[in-house]
Amino acid sequence: MRYFLILLFGLGLYTFPAGENKCGTLEKCDPYKANVHDINSLQRGLGTYMNYCSTCHTLELLRWNRLQRDLDIPETILIEDLIANPDIKPADYMTFGLPEVSVIGAPDLTLRTRVRGEDWIYTYLRTFYDDPNQLTNSNNLVYPGTSMPNVLVGLQGAQELDKDGKIISKSKGSLTKEEFDNSMKDLVNFLAYASEPARITREKNGIFVILFFIVFTAVMWLLYREYAKEIK
Amino acid sequence: MASKENSNSLMSWIDRRFPVTENLERHLTKHPVPKKVNFYYLFGALLMVVFMIQIITGIWLMMFYTNTEEGAFASVEYIMRDVEYGWLMRYMHSTGASAFFFLMYFHMFRGLLYGSYQKPKELVWLFGCFLLFLLMAEGFLGYVLPWGQMSYWAANVILSLFGAIPYIGPDLQVWIQGDFVLSGITLSRFFALHVVVVPLLMIALVVFHIFALHEVGAGNPEGVDIEKHRDSKGMPLDGAPFHPYKTFSALPAIGIFFIVFFAIVFFAPTGGGYLIEKPNFEEADFLKTPDHIAPVWYYAPFYSILRAITFGIPFLGITSKFLGFIIFAASIAILFIVPWLDRSNVQSIRYKGIYSKIAMILFASSFITLGYLGTKPVNELRTLIAQICTVFYFAPFILMPIYTKYEKTLEVPDRL
Repeated sequence: MRYFLILLFGLGLYTFPAGENKCGTLEKCDPYKANVHDINSLQRGLGTYMNYCSTCHTLELLRWNRLQRDLDIPETILIEDLIANPDIKPADYMTFGLPEVSVIGAPDLTLRTRVRGEDWIYTYLRTFYDDPNQLTNSNNLVYPGTSMPNVLVGLQGAQELDKDGKIISKSKGSLTKEEFDNSMKDLVNFLAYASEPARITREKNGIFVILFFIVFTAVMWLLYREYAKEIK
Repeated sequence: MASKENSNSLMSWIDRRFPVTENLERHLTKHPVPKKVNFYYLFGALLMVVFMIQIITGIWLMMFYTNTEEGAFASVEYIMRDVEYGWLMRYMHSTGASAFFFLMYFHMFRGLLYGSYQKPKELVWLFGCFLLFLLMAEGFLGYVLPWGQMSYWAANVILSLFGAIPYIGPDLQVWIQGDFVLSGITLSRFFALHVVVVPLLMIALVVFHIFALHEVGAGNPEGVDIEKHRDSKGMPLDGAPFHPYKTFSALPAIGIFFIVFFAIVFFAPTGGGYLIEKPNFEEADFLKTPDHIAPVWYYAPFYSILRAITFGIPFLGITSKFLGFIIFAASIAILFIVPWLDRSNVQSIRYKGIYSKIAMILFASSFITLGYLGTKPVNELRTLIAQICTVFYFAPFILMPIYTKYEKTLEVPDRL
């Protein structure tokens, strides 16, 4: 009986073929877990976003003043440098004057991190390579045939595929590999924040709720023991 | 009644018009429950707690939710971002749904283990089975409301099952949807059903479930009838009043439940994609089918059964999809008749024979395996295992009248 059960469970697990967790053409995505409590990282990520992403991608569910409050941005910087448009109010969404459906089909990025996962975005941003067969002249390992051009090429430098399909550096960018990876971590961190601004309060305050219930359980346990003695 | 005379004048004034004291005594302060039970007997109380969480958070969500095709998805994100503590309400509601099923499965498995369906508790069990059915409907309807990709396509899969019924199917599907495709019309009727109809029915059935239980008395893991031996005041020797003994034993359990519950709500509300699935953060798009449509974990075992049926009965005009639907419905329906399948002379698994024990292990392990398979994409081997597990899911029930009648049981003690 017992052996039979082990066999059954074993078979169940065996049905998990390798590659179901595949990350595009890669075996698996490079791991990255966002830390939305690192305000400096979020600010750096916002900087990268404003410089490289906001030309095409909206954040249609995030308000400027929410961003200001959560990322600790001075009001003058928000209004003069970030919004930089007298027609846009701080309570407006971060749509950068782009239409709801972008002409070139760039998706809104507010919830993208929750749809794809932090690992996926982090790996995607770092695996562009030159491919003359593509309209944009570049391709991606995680999302082959992507229509997004390699806008980060100036930072990362050009990459290409070697004979085995491994990515190799072709030319130098303005950042070293480590600097670029860190910069992408900041960007994904910012996107993770944008996908769920409440995550900051959620992860910060959760522990107090749990501590309360630990004390509650302890007190109730003592009370229960007293009552249990009576019916022994 | 002695207590009526002793109580103060306001209480007796009320009692003469509305029997408050009598009912409190009947259901709480004098209602006898077995002294010795195990942790399995705490799930009922926890289910009440979760039901209340769902109702309260649901009311708050309803204040901000928009039940239209254009507004639904955005209103959920509005709750998550702009409503004060809206994210907490939403995560408590979504985690609460999973908790509801988790506790319900344990609660019912307890019933199967300790014979909580046997005479005279048949109606308690039946009301409970109806509650499972309603909970599944409620969960399904609620899952559609955020109007994400998975909401839309999972609902499509389930609604297409009605379309698979011969002759009336296609018309029935249109009638349920209110449209030729799943649309905003479907969404708003699902909203009405989710917030009014099903919860009202559930409240009524919970009341019936508890009234029936208090009529026949709660069981215990030994299957001993505590009513047999009473003291001079009529209180069973192995029993204790529900309040305060049972209520105070439930409170630490409720505390532990809340620790786990809030750990998920605050630190893993999406449960790695098992509690809130990733594609559901993308608005429903009727032109784009997700790569892999998976149910939430609590439907996975039943979905697996549905998918395991890859063959039909051609000469009767039954397609594989319709047969799958029948077997899927039967997997829940068979629970309703368990009280009449069990012919054993003892209640508890502790005193039943080896075949009953094997049957329970088979049932539980196939349920878990089916659940695991239900969340994964299909391949040939998985389908085969799901088919074997479907047989093992049904076999314990179908063969129950035989093995419970002929197996050797142990003698049940007289006292707890």
